[in-house]
Amino acid sequence: MRFVAGRLAALVPVLALVLAIVFLLVRAIPGDPAVVLLGPGATQAQIAALRDQLRLDLPAPLQFLEYVAALARGDLGTSLKTGEPVLREILLRLPATIELTVLATIAAVLVGIPLGVVCATRANGPLDHMLRLVSLVGVSVPAFLLALVLQLVFASWLGWLPVSGRTSALALDPPITGFAVFDALLRGDGAAARGALAHLVLPCAVLAAFLAATLGRYVRNSMLETLGEDFVRTARAKGMARVRVVYVHALRNALLPAVTVIGLKSAEMLGGAILTETIFAWPGIGRYMFEAIRNRDFPVIQGTTLVFALIYVTTSLVVDLIHGALDPRVRKRLR
Amino acid sequence: MAEIAAFLRTNRLAAFGLALLAAILVCVIAGPLVYEVSPTRLNILKRLAPPGPDFWLGTDALGRDVLARVLHGGRVTLVVGCGVVALAFVTGATIGMISGFAGGWIDVVVMRLADAMLSFPSLVLAIALAAAFGPSLENAMLAVAITLMPQFARVARAQAVSVSARPYVEAAVTLGLTRRRILLRYVFANGVGPLFVQATLALGAAILQTASLGFLGLGAQPPAAEWGADVSINLDFVRSAPWVALAPGAGILLAVMAFNLIGDGLAEWLDPRRRPAQ
Repeated sequence: MRFVAGRLAALVPVLALVLAIVFLLVRAIPGDPAVVLLGPGATQAQIAALRDQLRLDLPAPLQFLEYVAALARGDLGTSLKTGEPVLREILLRLPATIELTVLATIAAVLVGIPLGVVCATRANGPLDHMLRLVSLVGVSVPAFLLALVLQLVFASWLGWLPVSGRTSALALDPPITGFAVFDALLRGDGAAARGALAHLVLPCAVLAAFLAATLGRYVRNSMLETLGEDFVRTARAKGMARVRVVYVHALRNALLPAVTVIGLKSAEMLGGAILTETIFAWPGIGRYMFEAIRNRDFPVIQGTTLVFALIYVTTSLVVDLIHGALDPRVRKRLR
Repeated sequence: MAEIAAFLRTNRLAAFGLALLAAILVCVIAGPLVYEVSPTRLNILKRLAPPGPDFWLGTDALGRDVLARVLHGGRVTLVVGCGVVALAFVTGATIGMISGFAGGWIDVVVMRLADAMLSFPSLVLAIALAAAFGPSLENAMLAVAITLMPQFARVARAQAVSVSARPYVEAAVTLGLTRRRILLRYVFANGVGPLFVQATLALGAAILQTASLGFLGLGAQPPAAEWGADVSINLDFVRSAPWVALAPGAGILLAVMAFNLIGDGLAEWLDPRRRPAQ
């Protein structure tokens, strides 16, 4: 309990500073933000109205307090483009982003961990070099380039998968959970579920590639360190089979820190989601943020940035707690 | 030097990374001098021409030579990557060193601020900052440098705390040297080493993030050639003329790969635990 309380207490100043950074985004706009956001054709009345909406006439500390008070009421502001509350728009799009990132995380774990183990057990051999090169391409390739290549090959040339979009069936029916595959299954519509899954494959692959490659590289290094530890040498000296030493003793210890990598990198994936959702016309909050950037819709940019940060902070906290629960040394160090 | 050569002989991937970087540098530095075609010259009659003897990598939708744009765009992308890391290195290292050396409330405030900045997915923060500063290459560089800065500050702070506890720093304090002199001459000089490894590792990320901002329209503005922006402006033609986007995209991939290979090699060289068990 002391460990959990300590982690939560450490979060308070960080969250306050996160709010301050998001608040300062609009103030970072050079010149008068209202004039810049409305563009050259704006009238004085429009500028005055926006200054009033953004509370720009108040002293900065008061503006910040008003911003925090509004957040506490669940008010993330109103979109300058559509006039809709930002929170409602984000909540509408959140399931699409969660669906994409969670599936991508699962796919990355299923590929990344075996990749790392195979590389470590054959360290510096030809297979290790080849797989390391593949994982290196995975961490080095820009998400937008991988997306283009996959779209070209699997959608345009082979015609196996849809180029973009989420699903056509969902547009006709009101969402139940907001998760396209679940909704189709709940309606008993197998064809719609298959369609939703087919739409997920390419964006999922793009998002998963970076995490799978990062995880593979991390598990390889972690395994190499663990295989050099005394307890592994002792187990081998006692005559234990190499397979058992590697896959039971070493892997279990090497995977413990991988929990942190999986958690943090899957949250980091949200940055990649902006690019992926934009290219695949995926109706999540990443694409919503991109559209807001094009329209210079700052309440939306602030709202989506804050939501991304809150997801990231929450994931870090959960990862710390899981890591602490699994490893008593971490509890002691972080207490 | 002999030690480096011996390491490169055993770590083929790091050697490959160095060779790849050398090849890229030769192409983008010497390339435009040999291949004297303007990257911004329009030739509407030859738009979307496929790769061939006239245009080695084809032309884009405005008839501009793709090879010329890749060579000139590479210069921009690499200079931007190095500039971003240099900016993040200098500011992050300075802030981190002062924070670790001074301790007390300065250290607490600086580290909480670094924690807060690291609480954003880095690309999200870079995008939000670049959107606030306004779309331009300089603003994109500044945005990415700000997001990378806390990483340098954290490493520098850890180094400063570690070096400050060494006997020679205590001796310098006893001798009555000014804090500024101790910080610059002893703490910074002895703690800066690991920051160079961090810088090498950050170069790939810096290029990738700046290219991503360029792709979103927040980086270099037309008609300037830059790899990320060149992928973005050619998206609509990618199905009929894939070379227009794939060529600059491949440039980003190869450059980031080269820096990642070198960074990995450096990290492995400095950390014996990461070398394979005998």
